[in-house]
Amino acid sequence: MNKYFYVILLTIPLFTQSQNALPDITLKTLSGQTVTTKQMAEKHDLLIISLWATWCVPCKNELDAIAEVYDDWVDDTNVTLYAVSIDDSRTSKRIKPMINGKDWEFEILLDENSDLKRAFGVSTVPFTAVIKQGKIMYKHTGYTPGYETELYNQILKIAD
Amino acid sequence: MTKRLSIILLLVGGFLLHSQETNESVFKTLKSNLTVSFESNSQWYVNDSKFGDFEEDEHLRTTNFLRLDYTISDRFSTGIQLESYAPKNLLNNSELYDEDLELATYYLRYKTKSLDFTLGHYYAQFGSGLILRAWEDRALGINTALFGAKMVFSPHDAFRITTLYGKQRKGFDLSEGEIFGANAELDLTNALNIMRSSNLLLGLSYVGKKEDYRNLENLSVDAVPNIVNSFSGRLNFSHSNFYTDFEYVAKSDDIRLNNIIPNTVSFSENQTFEGNAVSWTAGYSQKGFGVSYNFRRLENMRLFSERAFGNANNNPTNQLSVNYLPALSKQHDYTLANIYLYQSQPGLFIENYESPLIKAGEIGQFVDLFYNFKKGSFFGGKYGTKLNINMSYWASLANNYSDPNGIPYFVSDDLTYETEFLNFKNKLYTDLNVEIRKKWNRRLRSIFTFINVFYNKSYLESKADGSKVRAWIGVAESTYKFSKGNSVRLELQHLSTNDDARNWLGGTVEYFFNSKFGIYFNDSYNYEDSKIIQDTKIHFFNVGGSYTKGATRLALNYGRQRGGLLCVGGICRPVSQNTGLTLNFTSTF
Repeated sequence: MNKYFYVILLTIPLFTQSQNALPDITLKTLSGQTVTTKQMAEKHDLLIISLWATWCVPCKNELDAIAEVYDDWVDDTNVTLYAVSIDDSRTSKRIKPMINGKDWEFEILLDENSDLKRAFGVSTVPFTAVIKQGKIMYKHTGYTPGYETELYNQILKIAD
Repeated sequence: MTKRLSIILLLVGGFLLHSQETNESVFKTLKSNLTVSFESNSQWYVNDSKFGDFEEDEHLRTTNFLRLDYTISDRFSTGIQLESYAPKNLLNNSELYDEDLELATYYLRYKTKSLDFTLGHYYAQFGSGLILRAWEDRALGINTALFGAKMVFSPHDAFRITTLYGKQRKGFDLSEGEIFGANAELDLTNALNIMRSSNLLLGLSYVGKKEDYRNLENLSVDAVPNIVNSFSGRLNFSHSNFYTDFEYVAKSDDIRLNNIIPNTVSFSENQTFEGNAVSWTAGYSQKGFGVSYNFRRLENMRLFSERAFGNANNNPTNQLSVNYLPALSKQHDYTLANIYLYQSQPGLFIENYESPLIKAGEIGQFVDLFYNFKKGSFFGGKYGTKLNINMSYWASLANNYSDPNGIPYFVSDDLTYETEFLNFKNKLYTDLNVEIRKKWNRRLRSIFTFINVFYNKSYLESKADGSKVRAWIGVAESTYKFSKGNSVRLELQHLSTNDDARNWLGGTVEYFFNSKFGIYFNDSYNYEDSKIIQDTKIHFFNVGGSYTKGATRLALNYGRQRGGLLCVGGICRPVSQNTGLTLNFTSTF
């Protein structure tokens, strides 16, 4: 690889921190209406955005696991979760029938051309971001069984 | 270092120097407004005693992406993406990208509540992408970003119009063809107020491709259109638990260029052909139950910003594609379920055998059903049981060919065809998938999958030998969660068939020490003798591990890749078999 690439890379951590502003991206609801991440952040002081896809097994496991404890999370921290699907037209027709079998209480949004995924700088799903007052406070890639407890601890820290 | 990159670095440097504020606060502002993401994929290909030596050049190859997005103010933002393919792109990816280090994309964006304007490289999709999709998928090695300008104007919540103009990315160059388009979306839900809990949305799109005809092959084509126009109309309607979507696309005349497999003799070079697409979905869902029916018919719908890229042999990774025409069949997670997978057949190919074989498109349907057996019921047990049944059927378009001049087919440049609108008789692929998800207790969950598949190999892989595959696949997997955040997953797979490479056995074991660190091993073994000797009695294994912290992930993997058709993310392409070590690193700050 070119040595300049390394030079650029090495200087990057100096310029960054995790409290970036949430990028303003237009998403769609399941019935086709548009909604922007800016509107979401204005409406909710504390929110979780979870990127998932119908073909991603760990994503569905994560959302299933969160769904079981979601009521408690909302009661304790007033957090709102948006599960943003990155399914494109290959698989997006499966979203509606699938989620109804799942008893998920949170809202599902569509990022059909991966605009939000790209703006978050994400390569793989699942990806979870915790946002407070429009600032990204925490980001995480991947899911392993039991990780939801760690995520909740982060939310508690951020909510304080 | 390239010229373009130097210019960007100078600009950034200039910005820093000319800033009015003190260095420290400039630094702080930069920090909180900059999003950085980095992805690196490296493969080191080794010689394998089973396959023989690695015969391509460059055993060690890397691809690297560095993306920087900077928020300048409330309304302005900008960003760049640097890419490095050193010394070459990964095996089986496009050589268009072979550059050591280059500025790949850059943009400046202005956004208010009603206006979103982008100058530079941008991504875009109209409707489901049947008519236009400019996108990036690094795993597939594809980036079809447009370079030019895009404007999205939405004066009202219920109305949005997008207009765009650009040339498509072609490696680090731009396409010769120009793309221009407009898309309007109208939400009539509130305007009509027809019924409570109803939604009605309309969409209209136009996409034009302008490309001057260059006489590549000394063809004697009389009237080559420089502009190919596509129009799309869409309707989405939902009422309470019922929903339906409809889309129709019409594509204007274009010539067909040099896309013959396997021969080089070509047909129909004096003819032009139109394309069209119909897509319809209807579904019903309520708590615990969902069903959807989907129909799609594609005729001659492949569209590239340069005609020459329509040659499927030379462009297996679909670079410069203007629209998105994926296969609509279930996407599988398991290795053996990905051996015989449908690839969509949207294009027009005229193949020269004893008589012409005209592949004009596809027609098919799939049904998806989800059902949740309630907790406490006979099938539900203590935690409930989830059932998914998915069926699909795909056929090639039935057609009749003719030659108005009565010339023998094998030399005819006037060969033309007519398709039948609703004829499903030329079966290419069917599958039936049954998936049962069961939670046994707080710690143990299982998934059982049964798949029955029919695969017309002769047609789908242009073998012209009449070969077909009928196979059964069974998969059982279980995950056990221990008390300290560690977990183990076991997966066993079997594929049974008397066709092609015959039976396979496969399995995976995966262990997570905690939420950060995990290791896995998987293997697929083709244990019966067959004429597909390159697969017979070879362990296609992979062993690896991954470490994740926050949004940073490092994964290391060593294994053998089966040659043939490799399907990732719903797109299949031929790959050569290889063995090697893979390192993936991704991070976002």
